[in-house]
Amino acid sequence: MVNDLGKKLARLAFEERGADFLLVMREEHGNVAPAMVSKGEDVGVVRLEVPYQLVTILENIYPWISKGKIAVITRRCDEKALAELAKRKYVDDKRIIKIGLACTEEQIERCRCEDPVPSHVDVGEPHAGVKGDELSARLAKMSQKDRLAFWVDQYKKCNKCFGCTLTCPVCFCDDDCVLEERTFVAEPSIPPGLSFHMVRSYHMIDKCIECGECERACPAEIPLLTMRKLLAKDMKEVFKFAPGDEKTVSPLNTTLEGELMEDECNER
Amino acid sequence: MARIGVFICHCGHNIAATVNVEKVVEFAKTLPDVVIADHNLYSCSEEGLGSIRKSIEKNKLDRIVVAACTPRTHEPLFRKTCEMAGVNKYLFEFVNIREHCSWIHTKEPDPATEKAKKLIAMGVAKAGLLEPQKETESSVIPTAVVIGGGLTGLTAAASLVAQGIDTHLVETSGRLGGILGDIEIIGPEFSRSKELLDQLVSELKGSSHAKIHLDTKVTAVSGFIGNFEVTIESKGKSEKVPAGAIILATGAKEFVPTGEYGYGSIPGVITQLEFERRLAKGDHPKRVAFIQCVGSRQPGREYCSRVCCNASLKNALRIVEAEPSSRVSIIHRDIMSYGTASERLYREASDKGVVFLRYGLERPANVTRKQKGLVVEVYDETIDENIDIDADLVVLATPMVSREDARDVGKLLKVPLDKYGFFLEAHVKLRPVEFATDGVFICGSARWPSSVSECIGQGLAAAAKASIPIRRGKVVVEAITCWADTDKCAACGSCVIACPYEAIEIVEDEDRRYAKVNEAQCKGCGTCVASCPNDAMQQRGFTSRQLSSMIDALIKNAMEET
Amino acid sequence: MAEFNPTILAFCCNWCSYAGADLAGVGRLQMPPNIHVIRVMCSASVKPEYVLKAISGGVDGVLVLGCHIGDCHYMTGNHRTAKRMPLVQKVLKEVGIDERRLRLDWVSASEGEKFQKVVTEFVGEIKNLGPNPMRGVKW
Repeated sequence: MVNDLGKKLARLAFEERGADFLLVMREEHGNVAPAMVSKGEDVGVVRLEVPYQLVTILENIYPWISKGKIAVITRRCDEKALAELAKRKYVDDKRIIKIGLACTEEQIERCRCEDPVPSHVDVGEPHAGVKGDELSARLAKMSQKDRLAFWVDQYKKCNKCFGCTLTCPVCFCDDDCVLEERTFVAEPSIPPGLSFHMVRSYHMIDKCIECGECERACPAEIPLLTMRKLLAKDMKEVFKFAPGDEKTVSPLNTTLEGELMEDECNER
Repeated sequence: MARIGVFICHCGHNIAATVNVEKVVEFAKTLPDVVIADHNLYSCSEEGLGSIRKSIEKNKLDRIVVAACTPRTHEPLFRKTCEMAGVNKYLFEFVNIREHCSWIHTKEPDPATEKAKKLIAMGVAKAGLLEPQKETESSVIPTAVVIGGGLTGLTAAASLVAQGIDTHLVETSGRLGGILGDIEIIGPEFSRSKELLDQLVSELKGSSHAKIHLDTKVTAVSGFIGNFEVTIESKGKSEKVPAGAIILATGAKEFVPTGEYGYGSIPGVITQLEFERRLAKGDHPKRVAFIQCVGSRQPGREYCSRVCCNASLKNALRIVEAEPSSRVSIIHRDIMSYGTASERLYREASDKGVVFLRYGLERPANVTRKQKGLVVEVYDETIDENIDIDADLVVLATPMVSREDARDVGKLLKVPLDKYGFFLEAHVKLRPVEFATDGVFICGSARWPSSVSECIGQGLAAAAKASIPIRRGKVVVEAITCWADTDKCAACGSCVIACPYEAIEIVEDEDRRYAKVNEAQCKGCGTCVASCPNDAMQQRGFTSRQLSSMIDALIKNAMEET
Repeated sequence: MAEFNPTILAFCCNWCSYAGADLAGVGRLQMPPNIHVIRVMCSASVKPEYVLKAISGGVDGVLVLGCHIGDCHYMTGNHRTAKRMPLVQKVLKEVGIDERRLRLDWVSASEGEKFQKVVTEFVGEIKNLGPNPMRGVKW
């Protein structure tokens, strides 16, 4: 069975844009899950209203697809995630065909997204972003002591399921995540201590594209997206940098004068 | 399971007067994997080192911790001791409980003792995780570069070529000799500087090993001991000189007063070097007043420039010997004529009628021009009276100060300077004429104001030290380089960008991509380690587990108090 | 009530700040006994994870000392430190820990007095901030 959306996407990806594969969300046996459809294969019932980071899936299976072009449904955040992956040469963006998906108003609200429209919209109606996160505003008014109490309470719910890292499109360490070891996270217990979350926050600070997948994945409902947004704001203030653009370089990779560190070596 | 031995040094009174060594020894015994904890009066003495060696053998120790002074002085010594006892020298950890503890908390012995305990706990934690390392050898380019063609540089270069070592002498100006070129007669034997300089220059010019570059600047320096590349530029053309060792002998310059005592406004008020030039031309005035310490030994420039009193004594004697009826006075704030020869000059000058008047910093002399010539009004502290001195010339003995290009040179060679702009050597007593950076040496007035004989001595010392790696033909590269755990590495490329020396690249192997460090290029800074998100990048001797264990040890031992 | 005695961790680079600390020792410049130095080759090798681990574990303050900008033994090593540490401070701030518990400063090999000043100031500041609120938090 194929739905209209599926037909439209299949035509767009395989016939118009020359893709060999199409990465979508589709319904099977009453559940919606990611699927990789090959050219000529039945595309099925495509469902895009379920928010999911297809770029995370792409990142995981890309090493096994040595040839061919892959079309992937990309929301704005997927686009930004792709840019971060391409920067690190995890994907060759010449092989990726982006099919731009504009998020619904409900989705934008849920993500508190400020930047929801992809550079090219193929599916969906573009809507404006929203400004501000209600929780961020509440935290900003709290005293430092109360803020710490809030986050300690939240983080105490963590059971180290690693859902946040596994579903994150820009988290690339996979099986070798440093948070699994005792080096920086001293507590072997569940919940892990504060360093688990602070180390993750620091690692994400120049990569996070605020897709909200971590928060959606967290079974303990810790407001992870809010923390990401707070730090994204700090990153903009301190270094005027936001991840998601292939042309910009992370401030952690440039000298104080903004020179790319690779270029300053005069030793050769 | 490691077998750790902890040896705590009294360092005479230096540590023991503040830190309770016995209590610390008892504490050390309780630390994980510590098999023996002991103490020595002077660990670095023959006796101390011997007792450590014996203990290693007797207790079959495989990790050694010494708690004493700073590793920057004696680490090589203790490492060697470990080697002699059959333990790899990288299985040794040095804990600083002197410069960082006993010496800075002298009035707080109990807190200092507690701090020493924690520092040792941290050192023991790291020691338990140390791994044996193999050092790699690097060949040495058998060439030296001497920067600076004054007396010191000439001496160093001449000594090197006499040993048969190819040496490049680089001088920014168009002539050799430096400041000595302006000084005709040098004390204390009143010899001619030209003879000394000509001798050195002829030694260089007569040797096939020497290459002299005038009007040349050093524009870039890269590499490390045994393998430097010095880029020199002259008249728009640049040349890359490979070298095994570099000697810095850029000297200093005379401080030119900014109006003190009427300098610049009253004719006849001149500096010592200006006076030397006049004397060389045969201009011997009848009445001269020297004012010492002009711009030195005062707030902002607190040091004594060491050579100016002797210069004035020498010049004063030249004047009275040429014309016994001359009237010479030296207005001073202490005469620094140290040593036997200079002290003799002081007596001689006094015997021959040179008048010495002492003034104080709060009441400096005053120079005015009157009809009959210059008048120096000075309040003489010794006789508690105002004296007026008539003079044809007033000579201001000003200190040697660092050159304007000193900081730039420092940046090129990556060597430190003190607040006055003089270069900072590795250690005044244990590593004189050396920089902390191996293979780069410092001598002459660039280090601090030095007399002719001191410059010669230092130039020879630097040449001797520089010749060591060159003669040996090889240097051992310290095993603190970095490596990537290929299983963990996610090939994100952060380390490749972070490395200041482009020593890392992402390589592909079958189906895996991972970072690989070129060990010959790696300088062991560890920048890559901090840029790696999943801890794949490690530095030998400073692994993340080792340093984390130090933090754990601190937390464990600190949280038990308060 | 006993006066709060902070436990402070300091990272000093071998070429500059560690030597500066040694010089302070040689000069017998007295300072409060609260800081514990870990020697590293370059301030750029100080992993932000160490700072976050230390503060999460209850250390009251962390001091990272490197060479002055332009004087790093490893060229632009300290530029990297200068970029990383402010971001670590933001991570602390957002979770509710005072970012002043991390301080980055530059001390050269000849600046024994500056080392004394920085240490004395920092210990005073941490005393004012009080014990690390993470001390004794049971997970």
